[in-house]
Amino acid sequence: MDLFAALQAVVNGILTGALYALVGMGMALIFGVMRIVNFAHGAFMMLGMYAAYELFLHAGVNPYYGFPLVGLGMFVLGYSCYQGLLRPIHGRSDFMQILLTLGIGLALTDGVQLVFGADYHQINLPLLEKNLHFGSHITVNAPWLVSFAIALAAGGGLYFFVMHTMMGRAARAIAQNRNAAPLMGIHLHRVQAFCFGLGVAVAAVAGSLLLPVFYLYPGVGDQFTLKAFVMVVLGGMESIVGAALAGLVLGVVESLTSLYWGNEWALALDFVLFLLVLSLRPGGIFGSQRA
Amino acid sequence: MKRAHLLLGAAALVVSLLVPLVVQSDYILQVLFRIYLFAALGLAWNLVGGYAGQLSLGHAAYFGAGAYGLALFTRAGLPVWLALVLLIAVALLFALLIGGVSFRLRGPYFALATIAFAEVLHAAAKNLPRVTGGDVGVPVPALFASHVHRSFYFCAVLLTAAAAWATVAISRSRFGYQLMAIREDQDTALSVGIHAARTKLNALLVSSVFTALGGALYASLFLFIVPDQVLSIDLSNEIAIVAMLGGAGTVLGPLVGSAVLETAAELFKNEFQEAHLLIYGILLVVVVLFLPEGIVGGAAALLRRRGAKGGWRAASE
Amino acid sequence: MRTFRCRLIFSICLLAAVLAGCKGGGEQANTFRIGVITSLTGSTAAFGQAHKNGYTIAVNELNAKGGVLGKAIELVYYDDQSRADQAVQGVSKLVDQDRVPLILGSYSSENTRAIVPAVTQKQVPLLIPTATADNVLETGSPWVFRVCEGSGAYARATVDFLKNNGDPQTLAIVYENTNFGQSNDKSMRETAEKAGLKLVDEEAYQASSPDYKALLQRVKAKNPEVIYFASYLLDASTLMRQASEVGLNPRYYTAAGTGFSAAEFPTQDKGAGKFAEYTFSVSQWLPTAKWKGSQEFDAAFFKLTGAHPAYHAMEAYAALLVAAAAIQKAGRSDATAIRDAIRSLDLAETPFGPIRFDARGQNAHPVLITQVQGGQYKVVWPASAAEARPILPTPPWSQRP
Repeated sequence: MDLFAALQAVVNGILTGALYALVGMGMALIFGVMRIVNFAHGAFMMLGMYAAYELFLHAGVNPYYGFPLVGLGMFVLGYSCYQGLLRPIHGRSDFMQILLTLGIGLALTDGVQLVFGADYHQINLPLLEKNLHFGSHITVNAPWLVSFAIALAAGGGLYFFVMHTMMGRAARAIAQNRNAAPLMGIHLHRVQAFCFGLGVAVAAVAGSLLLPVFYLYPGVGDQFTLKAFVMVVLGGMESIVGAALAGLVLGVVESLTSLYWGNEWALALDFVLFLLVLSLRPGGIFGSQRA
Repeated sequence: MKRAHLLLGAAALVVSLLVPLVVQSDYILQVLFRIYLFAALGLAWNLVGGYAGQLSLGHAAYFGAGAYGLALFTRAGLPVWLALVLLIAVALLFALLIGGVSFRLRGPYFALATIAFAEVLHAAAKNLPRVTGGDVGVPVPALFASHVHRSFYFCAVLLTAAAAWATVAISRSRFGYQLMAIREDQDTALSVGIHAARTKLNALLVSSVFTALGGALYASLFLFIVPDQVLSIDLSNEIAIVAMLGGAGTVLGPLVGSAVLETAAELFKNEFQEAHLLIYGILLVVVVLFLPEGIVGGAAALLRRRGAKGGWRAASE
Repeated sequence: MRTFRCRLIFSICLLAAVLAGCKGGGEQANTFRIGVITSLTGSTAAFGQAHKNGYTIAVNELNAKGGVLGKAIELVYYDDQSRADQAVQGVSKLVDQDRVPLILGSYSSENTRAIVPAVTQKQVPLLIPTATADNVLETGSPWVFRVCEGSGAYARATVDFLKNNGDPQTLAIVYENTNFGQSNDKSMRETAEKAGLKLVDEEAYQASSPDYKALLQRVKAKNPEVIYFASYLLDASTLMRQASEVGLNPRYYTAAGTGFSAAEFPTQDKGAGKFAEYTFSVSQWLPTAKWKGSQEFDAAFFKLTGAHPAYHAMEAYAALLVAAAAIQKAGRSDATAIRDAIRSLDLAETPFGPIRFDARGQNAHPVLITQVQGGQYKVVWPASAAEARPILPTPPWSQRP
């Protein structure tokens, strides 16, 4: 296997990883602010994909233009989901929160199947047939490049939100100390609801960007929930930037594993990496030490 | 535990063992088998999850060790009893490994680490067809030649009884108090000289043995296993859900949780067909919202409020 | 705690319903019950739904003609959630509670293999509509009958086609790591070895990943003349799209049916569209098949669902026709009698071709090789059934329009 093959695999890994990164950032935001391990994350992403698909099917909106609308819709859903379901169990044990998100995930997945059917769907954009050549050895499929650019912008936007807005500062304050923050005049539930909505929306945006190069069915999100866990731990639980970098790492690792070892081991290697990081640097590769 | 509770437990066991005299249908026996099996698994999980407060979402690892242990050791020509001993050894080994790494972590880190271990084993079972048979699957020997469903039902009841007995014994021992101290506040527990990591590991070891035996029992009933069946995250979740929904940290919790959930799942499947997971998901949400302490905890609170003498509460602790 | 009381009442209702369920079992006088296990939810639900549509059409047709033994047929479904243990539980439920004398199912090879010991134990005949892994028949159980052909026949038909059309020398197998994929890999490996076809690469992959480019790069480096895929529906589209991106140019793209023979695969809006062009695949049935009733089934399916069927729905349909014929022949609702009737059944004309089971319980169904030409599946092999000539070699991606 020559060097160019490896380079090509790294490029592809980064392009896929950018979408993983978006999913992971959503999870990290939710976890950082609320300490909730969101088992319904993939289900929300799947819902976003269906929204993008329906927009495309009935209104002819290309997912690359439609994603803000999907994000907005899912934000509202996530916000209400927090206010209606998660808020009442605020302060209860982790167990109950996990149980709740598991229940929400199951209900969403099966609900979508009842409404839209179990069939697989996909869309074929003309853009898919466009391959860009860099030199004689590196090829990039145009939609992946577009999704990479949008993911970069969305991720950057999320970073700006967390670091430089009032709401973002409040969220970080809650992440640092959830008891002191309300004393400083921070409206805990409003901020948490906002962050939950935003985290869900970001995952849904990742879903709509993935749609043109992938496909969808009600269970499509499950694997992404697991990947998001891996990213959040690799990146350090409360670090959005960490999760983003972890997403890229994951994409590249999977791609190189497929190239040198075999695709069937890619997912296993994700988890081995995850365990190594957990046992050697529990705070994550990019996070601060925290055991 | 009062003598009355002991008698109650013994009576429940006797009644459970007499059930096959009345129930003739293999199907009902199989559903009951599943209820008792998951009660036993939930009780085993409860030692780590409920009493020590460590949320394990990777119990499929021990379950799979039991199931694959029975299949692979007997395929290698070993007698069943030796296979059972060895599969317990393998489960203990996994518990040592998983506990050794994960118990240094707290809260969600621990939960995610247990998922990761189970997923690595899942992938290994899928991708090493020469060892495990891969997704083509591997046959499992039948533990019983005749009266199959009845025999398995008895085994599940006995496993549940053993797990319940172990739970009661542990919860009343020094070991149990140490576990609960860790659950309430690990730092304080450390400061009074409890070796937290070792205590939690011991709980996990006990838990893994029961879970592996449950896995072996399950595999032998179905005679044939594939990785997605005995090592999946869905299974880990189901074990945890049974215990949490019933009431983590109580003896009755997993029993009640298993009875309610497994019955509901089976009924919903037959009644609602494609919609059954929707209903099941909503059931989870509803229970969490309205019974945040789990079913047993909710019932205890209700009884307390009614001015009952607290019998339930005592029994459940 | 009003809410708690609601919960309590709900639970009691559940229990009561269970008890009612115990009593409610057994045969009703006016219908004839047949058990169906399939995947109505879970990862392979799309195919379970195809089953259900096929069964629905068959049941409507059969009941319009008066059902069996003078009773209307009633299908009792059990959803295995695409999980093997649930499928096994389904056998118990259908046999012990619903008292069905025969079972059709399941969808996937994994779940079907899992229920074989259970039906054998319960002594109830099982008709397998779609599971292609050959290990579903490996136990030699006298209760198991398979309507479709299996992975061994797939591999033999493909190799036979290759030998007679250009005789390539090197082969790579790309398969998903499931029972279906691993069985087809094994069958093809053995068949290719016997035929002197050199195996240069075997790649397993994790189904439903978004990125197979590195995997395809690996295959490309081995430069095989033939690639044999064993893939489910949408991975087939992903694989072909990304093969174009990677510039993977074998002389033959071949496949073990399923994803590569689904009705949606060559379509632009639901499949690989132009990326599907020129791919060969094994197929068991097409709406254009010459057997009488094929077009009618296609029309009925279209009326029911608004889409055209793939062979999975047809196989479910055919399985129920077999069941009805066997029950009629047995003359009573008895598992052993029905089993014997299936064994000696000889249906000369069904929309799925003639159906007869050999000693292993396998229906010797002719396997077709199709090629996607102009967005349509065309049968290109065996010569006796061919509608078109194969286009060979597959043009490289750079030279396609």
